[in-house]
This record gives sequence, structure tokens and C-alpha cells, in this order.
Amino acid sequence: MNHPIENAKKNGMSTLDRILSTEEDLIPSSGFLASVMERVEDEARAPAPIRFPWKRAIPGFVLAAGVFGWGGVELVREAVSAYHAAAAAPVHLPVGLEQTLAPLGWVGLALAISLASWVLSRRIAGESGLL
Amino acid sequence: MTTPKSATEDTACADRVLAGDTQAFAEIVARWQGPLVNMAWRYCRDRSRAEEMAQEAFLRAWRNLAQWRRESSFSTWLFALAANVYRNELKRFPTVNVPLEEAAEPSAPASQLDGLREQGRNDEVRRAVLALPQRYREAVVLFYFHEMDVAATARTMHLPEGTVKARLARARALLKSRFPHLNQQDASRTLAKLNQREEA
Repeated sequence: MNHPIENAKKNGMSTLDRILSTEEDLIPSSGFLASVMERVEDEARAPAPIRFPWKRAIPGFVLAAGVFGWGGVELVREAVSAYHAAAAAPVHLPVGLEQTLAPLGWVGLALAISLASWVLSRRIAGESGLL
Repeated sequence: MTTPKSATEDTACADRVLAGDTQAFAEIVARWQGPLVNMAWRYCRDRSRAEEMAQEAFLRAWRNLAQWRRESSFSTWLFALAANVYRNELKRFPTVNVPLEEAAEPSAPASQLDGLREQGRNDEVRRAVLALPQRYREAVVLFYFHEMDVAATARTMHLPEGTVKARLARARALLKSRFPHLNQQDASRTLAKLNQREEA
């Protein structure tokens, strides 16, 4: 079988290939094997980890899910009734205040876009290894 | 890197380990300690850290040996696992590198350098690999570790060969832009070859 590195040599390695492919082999220290086996044996001797008591925990999980679910439903119901009440009696803001509040939506939108672009740029920079 | 004999021995040792014979793992460690330590060295260029990382890789291999599906060779599985361990280890505690832009570029031409200086310059190029962005760095490290075998590199990285080739090309371009003498030497070698052919 033709060895890849031999093939590359025949085809003419670039200087970069030659530099990076001719590294001297590092010989592991004499105690390396022993220290690996020591750790392996320590792990083998250690008692098996205690399993999570799923059977005992399940009722607790169900109860917690029920409480949070019920709380969520109540919260939504409250919000809906508050919205209907507000819609039935519309609040008239003073003209000055209304003019002040009008651009707030745009400010919120601009902030949301800025946040999204910041998150996106961090993610791209992180993937390229810059961060 | 794997001979049929060692592949059979690996399978036999793995079976013994899975049957409860911890000592059989020592044979695996003895067979693969060199490659795994050398691979770790190429990731960090720090001898003691390379041994620590290789030790961690062996420990992980011991814990997860049952997950080795025999459809790939033991070495393929072991190298992929080790690459994963080294990558995560270096994410947690990165090596201290100079940025690629600050990597030293020797000013004297190659003909004026003696052997020692050339060795120093080659070491600078090797160290500059660690200053590459992570995705390019790993492709370069594994490509030369696998003796310039793209397929083996792709298997270790769990990536298509095309992706590995693209990353290698980008990494080479970055390194050559940082070390222009590499291009000059290639050009002069090509010229010398052409001259030789013409003379012949």
C-alpha cells in the first residue's frame, strides 16, 4: 500500500508540508502507562454511582408540574380578563403624554434589533474562533 | 497507522476489558500511548500537558469502551474520542499563544541560515499553527498527525472530506500569508526543478 506521506514526497511536498510533517516523535514518559492504569483501577474499584431515585421523584415532579401548570393557567386567565376590562373602558391619555409614548414602540423595536444583531455577531465570532 | 494484527489485538483486548479484565486495558494503553501523546502534543505543544490530556483520553476510552461500535476500527474510534477530549480541554484552558500576526518572521533568506536557525524557524511555523482559528488549527494538526491522510483526518473530526480540504486550504493560505518565505522557497524549488529538466 502506498503511504500517503510517501506519495506526497513523490509529488513534491510544499515547504509548509515538509515542516509540519517532519516533527520528531515524542516518547511518553516511563511512568505514563502506570499512571493511566492507576486511575483506571481506581475507577474500577470505586462503587457504582448511586442511581437517581426516579420512582420516588416522579410524584414530586408530577405535583410540581401540576402546580406550575395551574399557576400558568390562572395567570393567563387573569391577563385575558384584565385585557377585556381595559378594552371595555379605553384609557384616554393626555395629548402630550400620547406624543411622548408614540415613539416608544420604535425605540423598543430598535433595541430588539440591536440585541439580535449583537447576539448574532457574537455567535459568528465565536464559531470563527475569535472569541 | 493500524495493522490488521493490531486491529485484531485491539478487538480481543476490548472484549476482555468489557468482560471485566481491567489489566487487558494496559495492553491497549501500551499500544496507543505513543500516538495519543503525540497527538496531544500537536494540540498544545506542552509535554506535561500532552501527557495529562492523553491520560484523560485513555480514561474516557475506558469508561466508554462499550460504546465502540465495531463498524469502525478501534483506532478511528480512539482518535475521534481523543480529539474530542483535547478540543474540550483546550476550550476550558486555552494554550497561551501569540496571535498569528505577531508570530515572528525571520528576515534572513534561507541560504544564510545555518541548521540551528532553520530548525528555530520551522518551530516558529509549527507554533503558529496553534495561533490559527480553532476550526483551521484542528484540521492542520490532525492532517499532519495522520501523515497527510485527508480521509483519516475527516474520520477523526467527523466531517466530510471536502470540508477538511477547504479548511486545510484556508489554513495554508493564512500560514503562507504570515510566512511569505514559504512561498519563496517553493517558487525557487520549482524553478530549480525546471532548470534541471531543461538541462537534462
